[in-house]
Amino acid sequence: MWENEHLIDLKNICKEYDGVKVLKDINLYIRKKEFVTLLGPSGCGKTTTLRIIGGFETPTSGELLFEGKEISHVPPYKRRVNTVFQKYALFPHLNVHDNIAFGLKLKKMSKKEIDHKVDAMLDLVNLQGYGKRHVDALSGGQQQRVAIARSLVNEPEVLLLDEPLGALDLKLRKEMQLELKDMQQRLGITFLYVTHDQEEALTMSDTIVVMRDGNILQIGDPKRIYDEPANAFVADFIGESNILKGTMVRDELVEFAGGRFPCVDFGFGENAPVDVVIRPEDIMLVGEDVGQLVGTIRSVLFKGVHYEMMIDCGEYTLKVHSTTMQPQGSRVGLNIVPFNIHIMKPMEV
Amino acid sequence: MIKFLKRFYLGIVLVFLYVPILVLIVQSFNAGKSRAKWEGFSLRWYVELFQDERILNALYVTLSIAVLAMIVSTILGTLAAIGIHAMRKRPQALMMTLTNLPNTMPDIVTGISLMLLFIFTKVDRGYLTMLLAHITFDTPYVILSVLPKLKQMNKHCYEAALDLGATPMYALFHVTIPQCKQGIITGAMLAFTLSLDDFTISYFTTSPLVQNLSTLIYSSARKGIDPSLNALSALMFIALLILLLIVNRRTASAD
Repeated sequence: MWENEHLIDLKNICKEYDGVKVLKDINLYIRKKEFVTLLGPSGCGKTTTLRIIGGFETPTSGELLFEGKEISHVPPYKRRVNTVFQKYALFPHLNVHDNIAFGLKLKKMSKKEIDHKVDAMLDLVNLQGYGKRHVDALSGGQQQRVAIARSLVNEPEVLLLDEPLGALDLKLRKEMQLELKDMQQRLGITFLYVTHDQEEALTMSDTIVVMRDGNILQIGDPKRIYDEPANAFVADFIGESNILKGTMVRDELVEFAGGRFPCVDFGFGENAPVDVVIRPEDIMLVGEDVGQLVGTIRSVLFKGVHYEMMIDCGEYTLKVHSTTMQPQGSRVGLNIVPFNIHIMKPMEV
Repeated sequence: MIKFLKRFYLGIVLVFLYVPILVLIVQSFNAGKSRAKWEGFSLRWYVELFQDERILNALYVTLSIAVLAMIVSTILGTLAAIGIHAMRKRPQALMMTLTNLPNTMPDIVTGISLMLLFIFTKVDRGYLTMLLAHITFDTPYVILSVLPKLKQMNKHCYEAALDLGATPMYALFHVTIPQCKQGIITGAMLAFTLSLDDFTISYFTTSPLVQNLSTLIYSSARKGIDPSLNALSALMFIALLILLLIVNRRTASAD
């Protein structure tokens, strides 16, 4: 199966530091030319996973396969992967050209060939003519580009990126997201990307791996992860959500917040406790008399594209995004179409 | 008024610090042998200094030991600093205590303990033992000047080098060491200076046959000071002053 598909396989990977389990039985595969993102809050094990693939950590147990061959004890300088580090880790004693040429010099290439490749890379990352600059004289975004060029020039099979855009401002970050995605598609290199920014993950990835506490919670493409989160944690982490405790009355009927709602989920059994997840943009505000739920608007915040309203409905306060504003304190009705009610097994915390 | 007092105070401090040295330098140009009376300007003692074989020999011992001790302790200290830096927190703290301890210990304790060690191990005291002693007290200073540079380094720099295909050895020489070059040079100069002006430890770790300048001055001082030693002291002061200025400028520009 892996022969034509899987480039990297992680099988039952565990990692412990001084008895603390950082990774608990990670199983994951990465296909050629895929853009995979490890997404999760800090401390979830995403960077450790990346460092194991890069060769900077050895798994406590489990197998790491590269094109089917076990490589967990191969040193980093013998792996066909390159890493773009958080905070860049450029060599401050070398200029831009020599930073990018570092890997090529080790391959004993001729000076002419090196210069040619470095120039091509500077073109690729839009830093033409910056070769002689000192790396400390560059802006954060430019340093980031040098770091990417320094890795890509070695033509790795896989590029590992550890929160590479974390230190950039929002606008630059969005630009770089698109550029990186574009680069990945043009060069046809596999990217394994680590981030805690769910929007970044949704924008760039072919596959998202959501992690928490050393476990993988869900693997899927961005749309699936957003629309069908596997549990309340994923739902909450990927975008904003209202997470409510409910009861599945029977197939396709759920009870929460004091009302009964038709939904599309089934197979939970009768009167089973469930988590109900509703995105704030999926709640429609209607007249008080026609709503499935009725609530009082507690607060209204202007967010640019929409208004964010907190609405008290009995024991719950629901977050609602709407493009039309309702005055604070007014009574409104809330409607949710069956398709937008997501039912999940309650998460054991 | 307050401004005046401030300056006056500073002036007094500097006067007390430097007048003795100034007197020494002036005396080194005194034509007569008396230390109380000025008998006219002369370079006589400088000429005598460079004709005195004992002094020249001691100068050679001092300089050669300073250079050798500097080289060896710089290599040892740099490698030790890199090792300590790579350690985990607890052993690192332990190593730092062990490194700092000799620096805070009085020289006389270091000197006597080294002397006892050499006697105990039946090593004849002389040039080699003095060199070993100098390496011993120089190395911690090199460690202490290299370590901060390592701490300033991006901790992923070394990993980045490995990632790009460098062996650990190549990464050490092409990434780690160039980045703490400043600290290594400062450490080396510090080692040189410390070795140059050490008396106490040298005194206990050498034999009367192998003397460096400080032990020679000490032993001749008991017989009455030869004025050519004034000339020598003046020269040493100037040399050390220049070195110190260079070290200070380096540390200032590195920050």
